[in-house]
Amino acid sequence: MMRLTKPTLFTNLPVTCEDRDLPGDLFGQLMRDDPSTIKGAETLMLGEMLTLPQNFGNIFLGETFSSYISVHNDSSQVVKDILVKADLQTSSQRLNLSASNSAVAELKPESCIDDVIHHEVKEIGTHILVCAVSYTTQCGEKLYFRKFFKFQVLKPLDVKTKFYNAETDEVFLEAQIQNITTSPMFMEKVSLEPSMMYNVTELNIVTSGDQGESTFGKMSYLQPMDTRQYLYCLKPKPEYAEKAGVIKGVTVIGKLDIVWKTNLGERGRLQTSQLQRMAPGYGDIRMSVEMIPETVNLEEPFDITCKIINCSERTMDLQLEMCNTRTVHWCGISGRQLGKLTPGASLLLPLTVFSSVQGLQSISGLRLTDTFLKRTYEYDDIAQVCVVCPFLNNEC
Amino acid sequence: YQKLQTDFEHSRLNQAVTKVHLNIIYDILLQQDSIDLGAGEFVTPQEDSSATLSESLMDRLNDQMMESVMISDSPNNSEEDDVGPIDSFLDGGLEENGSSGNKKEESEIGQNTTEIKVPVDQKEQECTKDDIKEEIDIEEQIQIVVSPQSEAHSPVVIKSEDPEHQSPKGTSPKDEPVPVCTIFSQGTQPKSLAPDGFQPTLIKSPSFTTGSGGGSDEAVTPSKMTAPLVCQPSPSLSKFFTDNGQANPASDFFDSFTAPSSFISISNPNADVSPASTPAPLSFTPEHQPPTPVSVFGPTVTEPTTKPQSPISQTVPSLNLASSTPQAQPFNQLQAVFSGTDDPFATALSLSEVDRRHDAWLPCEETRKMLISVATQQYGPAYVDTNRLTMPGLKFDNLQGDAVKDLMVRFLGEQAAMKRQVLTASSVEQSFVGLKQLVSSKNWRAAVDLTGRLLTAHGQGYGKAGQPTSHTTDSLQLWFVRLALLTKLNLFQNAELEFEPFGNLDQPDLYYEYYPSVYPGRRGSMVPFSMRLLHAELPQYLAKPQEALDRLHNLKTVCLAILENLEKGSAEDGSMITLTQENRQASLKLWRSRLSRVMYSMANCLLLMKDYILAVETYHSIIQYEPQQRVQLLSGIGRIFLQVGDVKMAEVYFQDVEKSCQMKARDPTHTTCVLMNRAFVYLSQNSYAEAHASFLEVLKIDPRHPVTNNNAAVCLLYLGRLKESLGQLEGLVQQDPALYLHESVLFNLTTMYELESSRSTQKKQALLEAVACREGDSFNTQCLKLV
Repeated sequence: MMRLTKPTLFTNLPVTCEDRDLPGDLFGQLMRDDPSTIKGAETLMLGEMLTLPQNFGNIFLGETFSSYISVHNDSSQVVKDILVKADLQTSSQRLNLSASNSAVAELKPESCIDDVIHHEVKEIGTHILVCAVSYTTQCGEKLYFRKFFKFQVLKPLDVKTKFYNAETDEVFLEAQIQNITTSPMFMEKVSLEPSMMYNVTELNIVTSGDQGESTFGKMSYLQPMDTRQYLYCLKPKPEYAEKAGVIKGVTVIGKLDIVWKTNLGERGRLQTSQLQRMAPGYGDIRMSVEMIPETVNLEEPFDITCKIINCSERTMDLQLEMCNTRTVHWCGISGRQLGKLTPGASLLLPLTVFSSVQGLQSISGLRLTDTFLKRTYEYDDIAQVCVVCPFLNNEC
Repeated sequence: YQKLQTDFEHSRLNQAVTKVHLNIIYDILLQQDSIDLGAGEFVTPQEDSSATLSESLMDRLNDQMMESVMISDSPNNSEEDDVGPIDSFLDGGLEENGSSGNKKEESEIGQNTTEIKVPVDQKEQECTKDDIKEEIDIEEQIQIVVSPQSEAHSPVVIKSEDPEHQSPKGTSPKDEPVPVCTIFSQGTQPKSLAPDGFQPTLIKSPSFTTGSGGGSDEAVTPSKMTAPLVCQPSPSLSKFFTDNGQANPASDFFDSFTAPSSFISISNPNADVSPASTPAPLSFTPEHQPPTPVSVFGPTVTEPTTKPQSPISQTVPSLNLASSTPQAQPFNQLQAVFSGTDDPFATALSLSEVDRRHDAWLPCEETRKMLISVATQQYGPAYVDTNRLTMPGLKFDNLQGDAVKDLMVRFLGEQAAMKRQVLTASSVEQSFVGLKQLVSSKNWRAAVDLTGRLLTAHGQGYGKAGQPTSHTTDSLQLWFVRLALLTKLNLFQNAELEFEPFGNLDQPDLYYEYYPSVYPGRRGSMVPFSMRLLHAELPQYLAKPQEALDRLHNLKTVCLAILENLEKGSAEDGSMITLTQENRQASLKLWRSRLSRVMYSMANCLLLMKDYILAVETYHSIIQYEPQQRVQLLSGIGRIFLQVGDVKMAEVYFQDVEKSCQMKARDPTHTTCVLMNRAFVYLSQNSYAEAHASFLEVLKIDPRHPVTNNNAAVCLLYLGRLKESLGQLEGLVQQDPALYLHESVLFNLTTMYELESSRSTQKKQALLEAVACREGDSFNTQCLKLV
């Protein structure tokens, strides 16, 4: 048995001298004669000669375990009915990896039965490759032997996640991915597969013109113990965003799909489990500002549009009160009835307001009262607006 | 009792197994294809759900930090407790097993595995047991198998004290007359060894001083320390020391006069450039017999000029010979007329263009001031602080090993080993000619020994480090060859040790200006540029790549400064000497090529450091200096990307290669290059069949291409065609051993032998025999995997 990791490229060790030095052209000649050097550029260290893996090496979760199994008849006798079975025993299951399960009729001396097996490792921990060979000797004696090859599957990556809730429905996911292997890793793909409720935008590419450039620079590889932050923006799909009740409590955001490659394209792939997020609680009624101007003139009324969503499980009968603050003054009648709102339903509310003070002002003072339960919900600091003096500008 | 206990363990194990099964079912139901990387808050039924839930909630409430996503698989952490008993159980199970079955241990591919041959009928009895606890049965075996990671190649460090290397060579040196030759005919000169027409060799290792051949063994042992080494400065240098005796410990002088040995010296061709200035040696050495033309360089050099004892450089090969010698001759005569070395006119004249070009270097400020003060004769070199002097010496004695022969003795017996014939330091002429012979026949260990002997003769032998000495062009060239060979032999520690006294190669006594009487008018560095480069590269092989990079950057800075000086119209060192256009171009060319060589070293070092981004950038920047290497460099960068795993970027570079190949005229090497690159891409896409086909296409163009032949064979193995692959490689090694007895090919071959059969040793021994009749003592026997 031999594990078939990818071959490696032979590196040579260039030692050169100049014509004028004592060895003259000798060192140069030695390097040119060395078959492993690059002809015409002998001082280039990385050669083209492939060398077979030197040891078993490490194997990581998500990589493919490939192995060459060769059964060789070392004896001088022909043996018959050879059956080779390769099983992989993990801590939870036993898998048959042999390409064929039929017996080979006979094996002559000095010949062999070859098999290359592949298996994508899906478990961490001890794995044992069990190669069982049964055969019949010329005398008709049935013999059987097994060989065991034990190896450990290690964890290649450390993934940490963090959610950031925006004031809107957007959710930002930061995923820190750390390479905890001992070799550099080329991250071929790190993508977020969103759950059905969300659309995802990857924020790891800076687009300039036609070509997008990765935020991680030209070469997308991770050195051992390096960590990289990936950022994703998740927006609820419109059909779900309307139903506020759905995005409440613990929701499934999606899972990260990570594909990496190492030496000569040795590939590994992992997916995280479903990432979950506790949606921020909005209480029974959620109010968000849909439209508001950025800059308004002093003492000049302006319109804002608020959206009211019933996030509770019951129908509400709402009454709106508008309380003036020191700076913000509401126009219109306070205490008007907004009507009934069924669970999950929403209502757009155009309002007019003006400010008596310059500067950045916070819109506050909205009160909703559910007349059924006689419960009042207060909404302060729902948005900010910049108030300027129009005359000042003219004078300037 | 034991039985009881085992039963108990069995039941515990069964529990564990069922638990694992539960896990799998759960996985299948919920996780489907994805690998379970359960997040922290993910609650699996096996876990104590209340605890986990509250914990994760706590986490969320208290901790706004990152959440760790557990990449855990179905065996949860909690099960580690259950795994423990398996091991303890195994001990019991193993004993049982051992007594029942016929157990035979053997090792293969570095792993201890157990092969159990059980007659089928007996096996069937066991099978009933197996049926019940098949899982367990497998687990039983765990203990037997040693973790494969334990296999590691530990580098073999050869120490000079190693007794193996003291063992006498196949032909015992005691029986053979030792090639002792000296200019100072003391009667010990065996004629048999002087080849036809050879002049007596100048050099003689001090280890031969006892006259009889037994001495050479002493040379091998470190006990040599006690025996005083005889060392003599070369005649010209002796004069140097008589002038400034203060710098030299008196003992050294007494050694030179009182030692019962013959006078040993190494001639210094460049020191004799102006004999008029160094008349002293003759009077200093009474034994000296001027009529014999003596030379380190063997018989080829006979110069019928006014100074018979001055050997004209084989060290300064063709290039220098052609340009400088004819020039130098009249100057020497001129100097004889002027007879004063201080005359600036004569000095300026004697400056050879080529010397100046190659030796130019920019010393650090302190060194520069000191050199100026030496030149203006403010004070003699003798007053220079010893801290600022370079006092090298051999740090270890003869290596003299031949690992191939040692292996032959071990595996093929003494008799077979006797057949191996390699050149040793003693079997060649004790000169540069012999040295070159050893190097070109790949007997680098012997060559290192010979440099040791030659340096010992120069007074820089074993234990001489830290003692005042003087340097010549030749002594530094010898050091360079020695250190370069040590590096080639992967004896990096030894090279570092011997490099140490040289400091940063910038001490005043390593410049020609320091020896105004020996090298009148000559300026620049005695240290060859290649030696500076070697010095800079060395730390990267000793896990100190940062230091190597620092040194390489220093070299680069000097190269750039010199190029700037040249472009400004001054000489290399910035002095206002008008150069002819031709000379300036030649200088620019030389220094550009040196700069590019430094850049190569930097890129190689960065590659070793796995700093691929900078390595790629640096390789790319070399293209501007070496446009003819564009194809090779771009392909190399592509291969770096493949090594990293970025196949797409590699393809981008390979496409670049194809474009540049199309632009140029049809060159078969370029076609092979393109095909080779394609093959590597296929390889990286796991398409071994296509890769193999591409390699075969290369072979259609160049059937003897060694790399391709090897690579095609490697592909065959990945295609499951072991026998074919083996057959191909074996055939190649047999047909064309000169090309295929290469470390990497043999490594592949022996690896496949090990895979093929448990009786691979025989085949490896056959390889050893093939190696023995072709390869020199520098062959790396590790690739044969015999030990």
